Amino acid sequence: MALAGNLEVFNFVDIFQVLKKDKKDGILVVESSNDEQKFGVYFKEGDIVYIRPVKKVFYIYLDIDFSSVLKKEGISEDDLYQYLVSRLPVLLAVKKGKFSFTPGFIKYDENIKPQVEIEKLIMYLSRQLSEAEVERKISDMKLIYTKTDDWEDVAKRAYLTNIERKILSAINGKKTVEDIKNELEVNELVLKRALYGMLASGIIKRAKKEKKLGFNLTKGLLKKIVNIVKGL
Amino acid sequence: MAEKQIKIVVSGPYAAGKTQFINTVSEIQTVQTEAKTTKTGEKEKKSHTTVAMDFGKIRIDDEHVLYLFGTPGQSRFDFMWDILGKGMVGLIVLVDSTDPSTFHEARRIINFFEARYPSPFVVGCNKQDLEGAWDPEDIRTALDLDEDVKVIPLVALNKDSVKNVLLELLEEIAHHI
Repeated sequence: MALAGNLEVFNFVDIFQVLKKDKKDGILVVESSNDEQKFGVYFKEGDIVYIRPVKKVFYIYLDIDFSSVLKKEGISEDDLYQYLVSRLPVLLAVKKGKFSFTPGFIKYDENIKPQVEIEKLIMYLSRQLSEAEVERKISDMKLIYTKTDDWEDVAKRAYLTNIERKILSAINGKKTVEDIKNELEVNELVLKRALYGMLASGIIKRAKKEKKLGFNLTKGLLKKIVNIVKGL
Repeated sequence: MAEKQIKIVVSGPYAAGKTQFINTVSEIQTVQTEAKTTKTGEKEKKSHTTVAMDFGKIRIDDEHVLYLFGTPGQSRFDFMWDILGKGMVGLIVLVDSTDPSTFHEARRIINFFEARYPSPFVVGCNKQDLEGAWDPEDIRTALDLDEDVKVIPLVALNKDSVKNVLLELLEEIAHHI
């Protein structure tokens, strides 16, 4: 199944959220719209291990073993962090272009470890989102969020700022976004950026609301509807 | 005897396949309120679009009719969401699995209905038969949906596939009676 799209409407936070969720292994290919920059971003269990700038995209698919990538690039495992950190800003500066993710494909040695926590990156990028971007996820002030089961562990990996910690402590499955804004007297954009990042990194999730039916439906009537639909 | 209307709302971003979904199972020719598409970017996708709502119906018995109301896909007709949300028993949100640029709009629709009319709902990932379709599980994550929300593969042209989405919603509704 495809995992591809346009960076203008599906930014890096959104992409990382999807790749992190199922702890995906694979290669994210990013191509800038001016065709000048092309990257292979190597993921292991949902975290980034390496960013490889290439002249042509097909170069990325010539290597199915990560050790041969390192060999070709002339770098050692110990240098991975340094290369990753220096190339990350260049990658993340690409705002227009396309992406596609190829799951699996690359084989990693066991000793290859993630270099940067993806949650940390998600929060970092969320702090720079525009008003229009945050509206995509936090589109309603009446929304209610709650903490996930493993929020403490995830939050540690995300390196939250003080204001983000305050926002997180106010989230309790009952307060709306508006309630939190009023309670903390926090700027709306700052609040929405924090919620966007925490939602994408898996620290918080949508709170379950009690469902209501707008019609007095009985079990007998529902059974009738089910039978009619089955027979269509 | 006055006819009692049971309302299911079919919503989703522009060109997600809402009208097709309703057409596939409705026993009447869907009543449509369409206009020519005029905006750049939309014209390339389809020539006509729903402007108020469209609806199909399925008769249940002498007294009850199940109505499927389709919301307009373009955001300038959002005011219809409020009108259609009132009194619904369930919501089906459709997404075009091949077009991730519309996922944000799908999330906005879910956010709106969840905040105001929290009825049982399911998500139908339409166009699963087309190349480039995202996996429903990836769509679930992209839409910030919890594991307990049903995110179902769909081909709106296929009757069995549409019936499956409807039946999944009805099963969801059963948990709340």
